[in-house]
Amino acid sequence: MKILAPIRALDELEMLADAGAEELFCGIVPREWQDRYTGAVWLNRRAPVGGSLETWMEMRELADSAHRRKLPVFVTLNAPYYTADQLPLVLELARRLSEECGVDALIVTDVNLMSRLSEEKLNAKLHVSSVAASLNTEAIRFLLNFGPSRVILPRSLTLAEIGELARALAGAVELEVFMLNDGCAFEEGYCATTHHHSVGAFCTSLSEMEADFEWHAPVFTNRRRNWLKRNLADYREWVWYLNGNGCGATPKGLPYGPCGLCAIPDLQRIGVASLKIVGREASAFKKMASVRMVRDIVDRTRSGASKLQVIERARSLRDQPEHCNAGYMCYYKVEGGP
Amino acid sequence: MEWCVHIAGPSDLDAEPALARFATLETSGKLHDSVRRAAESVAAAFGDVRFSRCAFGNEFCEHLTPEPGAVAAAAGAAAAREMGFTLLTPYVSDAGLARLRGIFHILDDAEVVFNDWGVLNLLRREFPHLTPVQGRLLNKSLRDPRVMGIYGDSQAATAAAAATLTALQRSNADCESYTALLARFGVRDVEMDNLPQGMDLGFAERGVRLAVYLPFGFIATSRVCMAAGLHYRKADKFQPGAPCRHECQSHLLEYSYTNSPFGNRDQKFWLKGNSYFYLHTEPMLASLFDHARSGHIARMVFQPRIPMGLS
Repeated sequence: MKILAPIRALDELEMLADAGAEELFCGIVPREWQDRYTGAVWLNRRAPVGGSLETWMEMRELADSAHRRKLPVFVTLNAPYYTADQLPLVLELARRLSEECGVDALIVTDVNLMSRLSEEKLNAKLHVSSVAASLNTEAIRFLLNFGPSRVILPRSLTLAEIGELARALAGAVELEVFMLNDGCAFEEGYCATTHHHSVGAFCTSLSEMEADFEWHAPVFTNRRRNWLKRNLADYREWVWYLNGNGCGATPKGLPYGPCGLCAIPDLQRIGVASLKIVGREASAFKKMASVRMVRDIVDRTRSGASKLQVIERARSLRDQPEHCNAGYMCYYKVEGGP
Repeated sequence: MEWCVHIAGPSDLDAEPALARFATLETSGKLHDSVRRAAESVAAAFGDVRFSRCAFGNEFCEHLTPEPGAVAAAAGAAAAREMGFTLLTPYVSDAGLARLRGIFHILDDAEVVFNDWGVLNLLRREFPHLTPVQGRLLNKSLRDPRVMGIYGDSQAATAAAAATLTALQRSNADCESYTALLARFGVRDVEMDNLPQGMDLGFAERGVRLAVYLPFGFIATSRVCMAAGLHYRKADKFQPGAPCRHECQSHLLEYSYTNSPFGNRDQKFWLKGNSYFYLHTEPMLASLFDHARSGHIARMVFQPRIPMGLS
């Protein structure tokens, strides 16, 4: 079970490696893409500027330096779709990433791109992005037609469901799961909205909109109306947690946001291959702090600490028991957890 | 062009399947007028349309998957009216897939709209007599009504803005290699929403049969359902796939885009259960009808109710 960390620039590499990262993922948005489109069309699920590398030289140096530290590098080509105009550019990007830069895997959502890349026989492996919404065993079996070595499971799968998938697939493909930092109120692969800075994420935008209930029965009592309003307030609180507790940090500067630390012993038992820390665009400090937290728990799990010891340690690392107790900060409900 | 109506059950077909009657079925005071106006626009553009097919089922929530008996009854009512039958299916967990398997067993000859690659895989392996249709959730165009209509209205003054709008008006179906891939898996029909930013349907000229829904468009959907939270204690609310009591059937939530940075602060979105929807505007309907007249659309699917009913 590896720790997968996001990276945006070569100068983050040493810090992330020293903190305990064992795999890295990043994006690249070359100048050609930025020149072709405005900021409304995203190559890799991040705004064109600020979340990705921008030059081939940077990409090659990052891959070479990471490989010297024995860290594989995966690159996102995970837009939900590419048009016929875009596909040649994206295929060329994939070829160069694989054959010139030597990156280890390409993270892909679009089954058309997966299919085309599987025909290319590149050195880089294929990882199926969480945006592909592989929610059931049959969906993963379908995607195996394109030869991926790994499937990144959507955040919305429960531990029990992940366990069932792992059992049914019996090692046919590696499974990667979300571990820290980024939530999504919707099923990521079935959300047709944009996070463009002009409007922000739809889920958080909704929390600031006027909302009016309509009751589909003869009598809409005040009691019922208040019941619905309370539930809406709870839902908005849940979205606030998903959004990194309003993009906040603890007094010690540690990142808030969805967390799967308590589930690490279960995920190890299930046979999950990799734990993903989200946030290519995050600050270097947030990335380092995130990797350190995950590494601490993974090391304890690897050394045989009991599940309860791990949970206790995870809660102390988060350092904000009231947020853990709320139950809205967890990717996975864990027996014995909050 | 074929017309299809999304029915809630066999009783929707008790009387003649007429657009004017379907236009009265939405009981929500917040939605009724919009559905009626859309139906009137359809009638003005196409006259007295004849529904030769009906759709039944749900695209968004596995907890709203109908029982096999209800599917059999709906299919029987369609057959009695000599209408084709299409079963709509949602994205699913393994448990949801098992329920669908039970339904597929009772279907002799029908279309099945899949919105999950796992459903397609199951259909191909175990139910090759059923005709798979790619659903609108697997059409990956952005359709965020907060902003996409504004892109569509822009003059695309620069080359980059024009290329951006073109990309946003297309989808995965734009690539010939994609539709060829679908064909390899036995899929020749695809569905989509009418996009607020306009649609480039050039791909339909390659022989792909396209169905478009109206008047509701889908925005986002989730395995976490706000309505299902109503009967849980606070700390246990909003768990993915959590069992529910179909609380979604009791109410609708209407949002007003009061925090828009643009001029569209009167824009509305609707949450029913786990899914958000927009309604077509008059210009969107006009654009859709233009596409229909140009021959790009093989089928229109009229949904008289917000498509989250329990059948």
